[in-house]
Amino acid sequence: MTPIDPITVEVIGSALNSIVEEMGEALVRASHSTNIKERRDCSTALFDHRGNTLCQAEHIPMHLGSFIGIIPHIMARFSAETICPGDVFIGNDAYEGGATHLPDIVLAEPVFVDGRMVAWAVNTAHHSDFADRGHAHIYQEGLRIPPVRLYRAGELAEDIQSLILLNCQVPAERLSDLRAQMAANRLCVRRMQDLCAKYGTETVLGASDALQDYAERKMRAGIAAIPDGVYAFSDTFCSNEWTGEMTFVVEIAVRGDEMVLAFDGPPQVRAGLNMVYTSLLAATYYAVKAVVDPSILPNAGLARPLTITAPEGSILNCTHPAAVDGRIAASQRVCDVIMGALARAVPDRVAAAGNGCCTGAIFSGTGENGAIWVYLETIGGGGGARPGKDGLSGIHVHLTNTSNLPIEALELEYPLTLLRYELIDGSAGMGTYRGGQGLRRVYRAERECRLSIHGSRTGSVPWGLEGGEAARGTRLDLGDGRTRFDGMLDLVPGQIVTIETPGGGGHGPAAKRAPEALNRDLAEGRIDAGTYAEFSQTTEPV
Amino acid sequence: MGWRIGVDSGGTFTDVCLFSEDTGEMRIWKVPSTPDDPSRGIAEGVEQGLAQVGAIAADLSFFGHGTTVATNALIELRGARTGLIVTDGFRDLLEIGRQKRPSLYDMMADKPEPLVSRDLRREVPERLRSDGSVELPFDESAFREAIRKLKDDGVQSLAISFLYGFLNTTHETRARAIASEEMPDAFICASYEVAPEFREFERLSTTVVNAYLGPVMQRYIRRLSDRLTELGLTVTPQLTQSNGGVIGFAAAAALPVRTVLSGPSTGVVAAQAIGMSVGIPDVITFDVGGTSSDVALLKDGVCSLTGEADVQGYPIKAPMLDIHTVGAGGGSIAAVDSGGLLKVGPRSAGADPGPVCYGLGNEEPTVTDANVVLGTLNPGEILGGRMKLRRDLAEAAIARLADRLGLSTMETAQGIVSVLTANMAKAIRVISVQRGHDPRDYALMAFGGAGPLHAARLARELDMDKVIVPLTPGTLCATGLLLTDLRADFAVSRLLRLDESALPLLAEGYDELARQAADWSATEKIATEARALTRTVDMRYQGQNYELPVTLPEGPMTVGTLETMISRFEDEHAQRFGFTAPEAAIQIVTLRVEASGHVPKATFETQDDAGPDASVAVTGTREVWMPEASGFVTAETYDRGMLKPGNVIEGPAIIDQMDTTTVLLPEMRAIVHPSLTLILEVRT
Repeated sequence: MTPIDPITVEVIGSALNSIVEEMGEALVRASHSTNIKERRDCSTALFDHRGNTLCQAEHIPMHLGSFIGIIPHIMARFSAETICPGDVFIGNDAYEGGATHLPDIVLAEPVFVDGRMVAWAVNTAHHSDFADRGHAHIYQEGLRIPPVRLYRAGELAEDIQSLILLNCQVPAERLSDLRAQMAANRLCVRRMQDLCAKYGTETVLGASDALQDYAERKMRAGIAAIPDGVYAFSDTFCSNEWTGEMTFVVEIAVRGDEMVLAFDGPPQVRAGLNMVYTSLLAATYYAVKAVVDPSILPNAGLARPLTITAPEGSILNCTHPAAVDGRIAASQRVCDVIMGALARAVPDRVAAAGNGCCTGAIFSGTGENGAIWVYLETIGGGGGARPGKDGLSGIHVHLTNTSNLPIEALELEYPLTLLRYELIDGSAGMGTYRGGQGLRRVYRAERECRLSIHGSRTGSVPWGLEGGEAARGTRLDLGDGRTRFDGMLDLVPGQIVTIETPGGGGHGPAAKRAPEALNRDLAEGRIDAGTYAEFSQTTEPV
Repeated sequence: MGWRIGVDSGGTFTDVCLFSEDTGEMRIWKVPSTPDDPSRGIAEGVEQGLAQVGAIAADLSFFGHGTTVATNALIELRGARTGLIVTDGFRDLLEIGRQKRPSLYDMMADKPEPLVSRDLRREVPERLRSDGSVELPFDESAFREAIRKLKDDGVQSLAISFLYGFLNTTHETRARAIASEEMPDAFICASYEVAPEFREFERLSTTVVNAYLGPVMQRYIRRLSDRLTELGLTVTPQLTQSNGGVIGFAAAAALPVRTVLSGPSTGVVAAQAIGMSVGIPDVITFDVGGTSSDVALLKDGVCSLTGEADVQGYPIKAPMLDIHTVGAGGGSIAAVDSGGLLKVGPRSAGADPGPVCYGLGNEEPTVTDANVVLGTLNPGEILGGRMKLRRDLAEAAIARLADRLGLSTMETAQGIVSVLTANMAKAIRVISVQRGHDPRDYALMAFGGAGPLHAARLARELDMDKVIVPLTPGTLCATGLLLTDLRADFAVSRLLRLDESALPLLAEGYDELARQAADWSATEKIATEARALTRTVDMRYQGQNYELPVTLPEGPMTVGTLETMISRFEDEHAQRFGFTAPEAAIQIVTLRVEASGHVPKATFETQDDAGPDASVAVTGTREVWMPEASGFVTAETYDRGMLKPGNVIEGPAIIDQMDTTTVLLPEMRAIVHPSLTLILEVRT
């Protein structure tokens, strides 16, 4: 194939990016469940005909891993000549389906031009279902779907769809969301066909390869700028779903323009905290890209200079039948250890630890009409203080970036009342640059319902850098005198539950914080007078 | 009868457009802006413009004004010291927003600074439920105490935003009344007045932006009114809003949040009128400035309104023309990134030092430099000879870039234009294909200094076969001010399931909005026969979270109205998303009324056909690089001012005028319309 000039590559790259963004908008706007339409817990992408990620819309970095395995799994199960235009594959399994946990249902449709497969339209959406389940192993966590055809040559396989819907607690929502996913892929197929008609299929395919080479070159250029050496870091992982603490370790070797990341962690556990290898890849791709060069295109090329290992059967690289539902919690800690290690190599580019969680609250119950309802939300927290800047307050960090649900929408749709939603004073790690503040959310149940909480940093705290202070960890108040629990909670009407998420760590010694910044912290109530006095050069506000 | 005047005040120039209602004569005048006090430059421009036509201010029958005062105050964070009062438990909502971080991968990216600092955000006990009923009554004494403290803290402006304030206004109304007693001199607004719509954060953000800009706009408008009165102006001056309509100065000062996008909206209004005057109502506008470009889509001559947009990172719920902005224009810098690809923008060389060819010290090539090297821009001079350009410097800068790319200088110059064109095409896809419109069904209308330069290639990239170039592309916004109606929007959220039981509530809601519209029309002294009302409703399938606006038929609310609403909603849904869900219930979210007051418009004079021969307008030839020919092609150059209706120009050709240059590609021809608008077509 003749090489494509850099300008055509850039022009086609822009067009591919438009396509996946448009898919994302279509998916969000047409969907019905709050988790997708409002919290945007979904991602859209184009894969090349070999199954490599070609272009991904910027939604959720965790999803970099949630579908990277799907096309190879499809290709392994079905011979290429049996795949037709209009076939749509559905899959969600962490071991056989190329996803990372069961709620992320992936839909993939091949793009054919003149009878030839040129790409795949792929999207994943987190279906807020499979609630109130066990997590001893993956069989408890929901329906496992290997890649199977939901549509065959454009015809819906009603039997497959019925089988899936019968295993869901909120089937009406699932049906609407699957339809929205379907519409998004169809759009992508049409746009890709138009693009090939315009530039010629060979040129588009050539540009697809060139874009991956381009991401690789940028990654290599970025790694080469990091001093060679071996950088290690370890952190503690704990969760309200598991008793005891675990240690995650990484050793990063930077050699020229390549990077080897060797992880170590304890054996997989009988809880929904394990990560399949693609989860580890997603976490690593995210963290390395964020530090090395945030502008690198999120395609398969960026992974080429990286070697990523973790012991098989460990929580970081689990094997069947380990439960994986809450894999995001461990994945966030993986990001923390990568950041901690790279901070030793390029201290001016890495922030202190952020809240390090993806704190989740899943409410479920039976409505007045007898139908089951499930409401999932994730709560942000503090961002780590950055070299030269305070951390951001009340945000999601690292692998997740979902929106909150408007209070007015939440209370309209579910029997819950939100009493407070605010930043927690004193939750941030102090430093020359202060970490961001964590979030407090106070709920009141209006009807009987069940609640499960996915919390991390329950025993450990987000660390500071360069002498900055650590932040406060997660705190719970279940409204019945308990501040810790590990399973499902039955809520009675009027019961009040408080979830407090961690802040972000500080950067640099707090004694060096600029007096005007410290004064503002006090005036705005972000710290109390005691903290002010502790770190202030003078003892009185100026 | 007399003169109508449009004054568009930008950062560099203040453009004045005068139109005689008696003779149809149109005159344009430009003076430097006076950013320290824009009203000075405006008064000067008006005075000089009037002197040109031998008129005085008392002869003016209409004064329309577009300004960037509100936009700039928001960009530069120069608004008033603002206080905020919210429902107990939610003072940080303004800062938390939707809890998303601003960039997925860039840890150094920042959220926009909250417009009210945390110490000026106060909570008071009160709480409504999702059905509008009261769970906790409004605590008046706590509120009064909070107000007094804010007053002591030197607050000049106050925003009040309670949960469900759009559904039940009693708490906010009472709070507003108390605040007026306690702070009679402050600017005060409550969410039910500014954006009575569902979703607390966006409503709060809009209310706060309004309060933050209120005192700034009031001051500006007072100063400008005084100057205009001194000049002898007797009519009520009008200001453009982001929806493209104008509104009286007093009303604009009360709702400044509705004027934040007033700048680009007048260009769209002008484009609409020009499109209609040449019989092409389906138009995509392409307004290219130095550092950014705006695009918008007009279907049947109408630009759709969006109810919400992010302006400088602040969500604003207000009717705004659906204009999409990209950070690339004529001054954008081209560079090779670490992976070896050519990127254009978002960095810009600005006006100083400007492009390399200005010879003022910049060494990084810009889009303008690429055009000079390609020969599309006159390599000798621009602005009718007022500025000399250095082609040699531009060429050397592009040659340096070419070395890094492994391409020739000419290929690189062409590449810069191609990458820019791809960025623009992406922006146009956002407003067309992403909204279910095929750009091939539209003509491209190019204006702004650099629009006509790139329009032909952009049209080709998008398979559009027509390009429209107005007579005065550089001052189109001032012209637009003479083409717009008075307009105000009223809305209220009512979450209702769409069935017969909703009819009385719908009727009641629209009656209330119509009453508000009538009050406004009376205040603006709009004659009864000039008034018009359009009713729209935002609808969605129950369970969705994004609404689609649907126009309501006129007349009383009947079962027939319901049926029309359903079928229009389904059509819209099918167009946007490719499917409908017949089994799903449909929900009404927000009722809207757009009130307008028709004003007489400037018209475009037409001239007699002078035949196809354009040879009198030929000024010479220029060597222009055409990638299709892989080399320089000799193109005839034309003086736009000499072109007459009916003239036909065959490409390749370059048409120069003082404020822009139009490029005609080899496969195209240009025809001069009777109104002197240029229409470029692909030869078939």
